[in-house]
Amino acid sequence: MTAAFTIAIKDLAQRIRDRSVFIIGIIAPLALAFIFNAIFGGGISDVGENITLDIGVVDEDRGPIATAFTEVLADIESGGFIELTTYPDEAAGRVGAENGEVGAVYVLGPSLSSDIISGSGAALTVIGNVDAPTTTQIASSIAEEFTLAVRRGNTAAVAALIAGSIGPDELEAVARDAGQTPSALALGTVEAATRQLDPTTYFVAGLSVFFLFFIAGMSVTSMLDERREGTLGRLLAAPISPGSIVAGKSITSVIIALVAMLILVIASTFLMGADWGSPLGVAVLAFAAVLAIVAIMTLVGGFAHTAEQAGNLQSIVAVTLAMLGGTFVPISGEGFLSTLSLITPNAWFLRGLGDMAGGSIADGLPAFVVLMVIAAVAGTTGLLLVRRSVRV
Amino acid sequence: MVQPVLDVAGLEKSFDDIHAVRGVSFHIDPGETYGLLGPNGAGKTTTISIASGLLEADAGMVKVVGETMTTKTLGPKAAVGLVPQDVAIYPDLTARENLRFFGRLYGMEKARLGSRVDEVLDVIGLSERADDRADEFSGGMKRRLNIGIGLLHQPTLLILDEPTVGVDPQSRNAILESVEQLSAEGLAVLYTTHYMEEAERLCDRVGIIDQGEIKAEGTRRELVRLVGQSDRVRIAVAGTSHKAVEALRTLPGVREAIASDGAIELIADRAAQVLAESLRIVTDAGASVTSVEVEEPDLEAVFLHLTGKALRD
Repeated sequence: MTAAFTIAIKDLAQRIRDRSVFIIGIIAPLALAFIFNAIFGGGISDVGENITLDIGVVDEDRGPIATAFTEVLADIESGGFIELTTYPDEAAGRVGAENGEVGAVYVLGPSLSSDIISGSGAALTVIGNVDAPTTTQIASSIAEEFTLAVRRGNTAAVAALIAGSIGPDELEAVARDAGQTPSALALGTVEAATRQLDPTTYFVAGLSVFFLFFIAGMSVTSMLDERREGTLGRLLAAPISPGSIVAGKSITSVIIALVAMLILVIASTFLMGADWGSPLGVAVLAFAAVLAIVAIMTLVGGFAHTAEQAGNLQSIVAVTLAMLGGTFVPISGEGFLSTLSLITPNAWFLRGLGDMAGGSIADGLPAFVVLMVIAAVAGTTGLLLVRRSVRV
Repeated sequence: MVQPVLDVAGLEKSFDDIHAVRGVSFHIDPGETYGLLGPNGAGKTTTISIASGLLEADAGMVKVVGETMTTKTLGPKAAVGLVPQDVAIYPDLTARENLRFFGRLYGMEKARLGSRVDEVLDVIGLSERADDRADEFSGGMKRRLNIGIGLLHQPTLLILDEPTVGVDPQSRNAILESVEQLSAEGLAVLYTTHYMEEAERLCDRVGIIDQGEIKAEGTRRELVRLVGQSDRVRIAVAGTSHKAVEALRTLPGVREAIASDGAIELIADRAAQVLAESLRIVTDAGASVTSVEVEEPDLEAVFLHLTGKALRD
């Protein structure tokens, strides 16, 4: 182990002299986080703890379903999450979205309720402002949830009609009652919001993890560089085990990644108002994430024969996992992508931070455990593969 | 019997279809400098890579100070100082940092390491530039640092793989002088080269290697004898020489003596051993010596004879 630390100390000295580690580990994530925050903050009027989305609504229907929907929106508005603006017609709403008064507008067409009740199908339209994709995405998600609930209510009403328990004249009331269901769902959404990170923290955390991949990737590329430069042969000729060379490289990556993460957390907290939550919880989760990322990069690098190959492979994997893990665009819901995101340390790190933000440090435990499992599995496999590279 | 510092027996190594080393055997005694002389691709680097524990042999055995060397054995590695053919240093570290790093890898105590680094910097002539980054060094200085790293932990066996390739004449001479000095201090040296002059200058014994095989091995003189050549000495004389020729034929070490064109030509086993006595005989016979030429068959000729090609083909 002494040899591993000797190699790590030497590598650290080299990396500190190679200023690119500061650029890739600290300056770039901070700069990008500023940019992302500015872009995604377009439809968000207040960044921080109390997020308020500006959303418009056009109710040309005024029927029971439309009324139920506007009541759902009113509930959300009362929670302070959105600020509603009512427009008289679709044209006015469209203008409101286009000129940026609101980030998105719901258009409830003239026959929305009757069409739904008659089962002939109806559309709830969301008009989004191109500069406020997050607001539009959230507005669409609310609409989808409501549509799903109405569909369930409609099915219940039809089933009751067939069973003869209600008459056609009571159908509207049943449908209306069913339409109230989203109110309860809306309460659930508000609860979920308290378990999410604010946008600034989310993007800074996501980008930090993303850039940690590039720092972690240096462990394998550094070894392949040493092979190319001939110094690996010299290390192998020394009375040390080949494993200590791999360990030394990994220790270097872990240390640099942890330091970069620490600086990012502190800088983003003071410069951008990011709220990471409990320092202890963040430290533990970040440690697990760094181990997982170093392990994944070791595994990926194990397939490469040259530093260039390793760098390319690692970049592809880093970007793919960042996209799947919701670093650039948050992944919500329970779809395939959401399930797929669970293979990424990015998603688990963000989820862990979110869970701790909405609860206690203990709520981050599942994410910590998963990250450690990823580290163990990827690390073991990676070390077996990388052993091939520890040769002249 | 003295235990060899390095004992290599029956080494075999193939890379896919290329049979790089074929039954190579040799040994190096304490304080001996052994040269592996052969052209590029002869199997020299593969042989020393196995000898220094960088490669695993397909067959055969390597022992360093009595311990079997493999890629996994650490003890024998500590006894070897390797100087690879390509400069293997960290360019973004200073000369001192490079030496200290490798010294720590070889388990040198902190207190000893500091003074030893200074000693080695002095030996390789880099004391003045000790705290400069290696990437600011000339090619020759990098080569010297490359050698210094191999010497740092005071190995029992120093392995140098073509250390003068691509080096300017001045640096080359400095490197050769360093090796001579280390050899004089009793260090066992395995020196690979394709420069015949270096092998002749430095090595007590030479193994001539080609296509993965040691074709012949021995002292320079033994190798020359293998191909049936001896020294030729031409003594130009003024005056009669017949009496001198008769006397020279009886001199031990002289195989033949003939008179021709105002000169006496001798075929001797070893010119250096008979030259002084030969000149005395000639002058005692009444002739005066005007010039002396000694032509020794060299290892280039031996290599040519053994392989049918020149060393630098």
